[in-house]
Amino acid sequence: MDHMVLEVGLAIALIALAGLLSNKLRFSVIPFYILIGMAVGPHSIQIWHFDFRFIESTPLIEFMGRIGVLFLLFYLGLEFSVGRLIKSGKSIAVGGTIYIGINFTLGLVFGWAAGFALQETLVVAGITTISSSAIVAKVLVDLKRTANPETEMILGIIMFEDVFLAVYISILSGLVLSGSTSVGGVIVSALIALGFMLALLLIGRKAVPLLNKALNIRSNELFGLVIFASLFLVAGFSETIHVAEAIGALLVGLVLAETEHMKRIEKLILPFRDFFGAIFFFSFGLTIDPTTLGGAVGLSIAAVVVTLIGNFAAGMFAGRSAGLSPKASVNIGLTIVSRGEFSIIMANIAKAGGLLAIIQPFAALYVLILAIVGPLLTKESKLIYKLVGRFFKWDKKTSNAESTT
Amino acid sequence: MNIREIDLPGIGRKFQMITRSGDKFVVIVHDDGRRECYHFEHEDPETSISMISLDDDEARMIASIIGGMAYKPKMLENIEVAIDDLVIEWYKIESSYACVGKTIGELNIRANTGATVIAILGPNHVKHVNPGPDFRLAADTTIIVAGERAQHKELKKILLQGSP
Repeated sequence: MDHMVLEVGLAIALIALAGLLSNKLRFSVIPFYILIGMAVGPHSIQIWHFDFRFIESTPLIEFMGRIGVLFLLFYLGLEFSVGRLIKSGKSIAVGGTIYIGINFTLGLVFGWAAGFALQETLVVAGITTISSSAIVAKVLVDLKRTANPETEMILGIIMFEDVFLAVYISILSGLVLSGSTSVGGVIVSALIALGFMLALLLIGRKAVPLLNKALNIRSNELFGLVIFASLFLVAGFSETIHVAEAIGALLVGLVLAETEHMKRIEKLILPFRDFFGAIFFFSFGLTIDPTTLGGAVGLSIAAVVVTLIGNFAAGMFAGRSAGLSPKASVNIGLTIVSRGEFSIIMANIAKAGGLLAIIQPFAALYVLILAIVGPLLTKESKLIYKLVGRFFKWDKKTSNAESTT
Repeated sequence: MNIREIDLPGIGRKFQMITRSGDKFVVIVHDDGRRECYHFEHEDPETSISMISLDDDEARMIASIIGGMAYKPKMLENIEVAIDDLVIEWYKIESSYACVGKTIGELNIRANTGATVIAILGPNHVKHVNPGPDFRLAADTTIIVAGERAQHKELKKILLQGSP
C-alpha cells in the first residue's frame, strides 16, 4: 500500500510517454495508450523501485479508468444537441441510416458466423459498428479536410452513431447486466432501463429553468463540486437498476446541455475527460495479457475486413445518395473506419456482464488495428480511390476528369 | 451573397461562400479558436488549392484589414455610416476642389446645408474634433460630416464649387 502514489505516478508517466511518442509519429494517441497498458502488467518486471507489474494499484487504476468512461460519455451528452440532429437535414439522416443499417447488420452476421451466443453477438456487433469520434475528428483536422464537402456527411454519420450508441448501450446493458435468463426477465429489465432514461430526460427537460437558477454559482469550486456530485450520483444510481453507469453519465450530460451553463461545464470537464480518458485506455490495456492475444488474431482480422468492406460500402451509398462525387464518397468510408473509445466501452460491458473472455483481446486487437490503419487509410484515400477506380468504373465523366487533371 | 453556415460537431463551425468571381471560399472556426481559410478551385470544388491557418489574434487582425478598418480602399473613401436618417460621411478634399483655402465660416456650411462638420483629419493624421468657423480647409484633409442625405448632397456641391 506504501508505494501506491509511486505506482500511479509511474502509470501516468508511461501514459504521457506513449502520448508524446504518438504525437512525434503523428498517430492517434488511443492505440499507444492501449499498447503501453498491454506492455506492462502482471507479466512484466520490477526494476529497482519501479514496479511495472502494477499489482497493488491495478484496482485503483481500473477505477480511474471507469471514471474516465463516465467523463467521456458525459461530455458526449453535453456536446450532443437534438436541435442539431433535427437541423442536419435529410441527406445526413439518410446517410446515417444507411451506415448503421449496413454495418450493424454485418456485425450481427459476423458474430453469428463466428459462432457466438446471442449476448456476445450483440456486443461484437456494437464493437464493430461504432466509429471513434475522437480519432475521426482529429484525422479530419490533421489532414486539413475540415472544409471538404464530405466532412459534413462524415460528422453527420458520427452524430447518428452517437444516438445509436446511447440507445444500444441501454438495451445491451439491460440484456447483459441484468443477469436474468428468461426472455421475460430480460424484457422487463430492458423496459426498466428505457423507462428510467425517458423519465430522467423528461424531468431534466422540465427542470431546465430550475437548473439554470440552481447552477448559478459564482465560485468555480462549488460549481465543480455540484456538477461532479450530480454526475456520480446519477451514474452510480443507474448501475443499481442495471442501466450502465455510462448511460447515466450520458443522460446527465444531455440534461445539462440544455441549461445556459453548458459552456462552463464543458470547460470544467474537458481536462478531467482527457486525463481520466487516457487512464481508461491504459487500464483497458492493463487488463489484457499479450500472450492471450494469439487466440483472437484470426477473429479480429476477419472483423477488420468485414468492417472495412461495410464502411466502404456505406460511405459510397451515403455519399452518392447525397450527391457527392465518387472521390468524396470514398473519403467517407475510409474516414469513419477508425475505431476507438466506444468499441472498448462495449467490450467493457461484456466484461462487466461476465460474457466470454475472448471478447476483451478481440476488442483490443480490433481497435488497435483500426485505430492505426484507419487514419492511414484516410490519409491515402486518394490513392485508394484511384486503385478502386480501376475495378469499378465510376461514371464516365468523372473518370475522364480524373485523367485530365 | 451566397453564404452557407453549418455545424461541424466536435470541430467547430463552417462558413462557405461562393464569391461573385466563382471561387469557393471556406472558413472553419474551430472550437479552440483557430481559424482555417480554404480556397477551392473553380473547376474542381472538392480539392482545396490553398489553405491558411490563423490563431485567434491573427484572425481578428486579418478580419479588420479585410473589413477596411485599417486601410480604406481609395474607391470607397466616402464610406458611410448610416443611423436611421443620420448619415456620417467622410469626404477627402482634393486640391482641385474650390473650397480649398476657405474657412468653414466662409462656406457657411451649417446655414447653407444643415449638416455639421464634426471632425477634420489633416494630413499626417492630425485630428481636429469639432472645428470652429474659422478653420481653413486644406487639400488632402478629410472632413467628417453628420447630416441627412439631402444635406450631404448640398455639401458636396459646396465643397466642389466653393459656394452653394
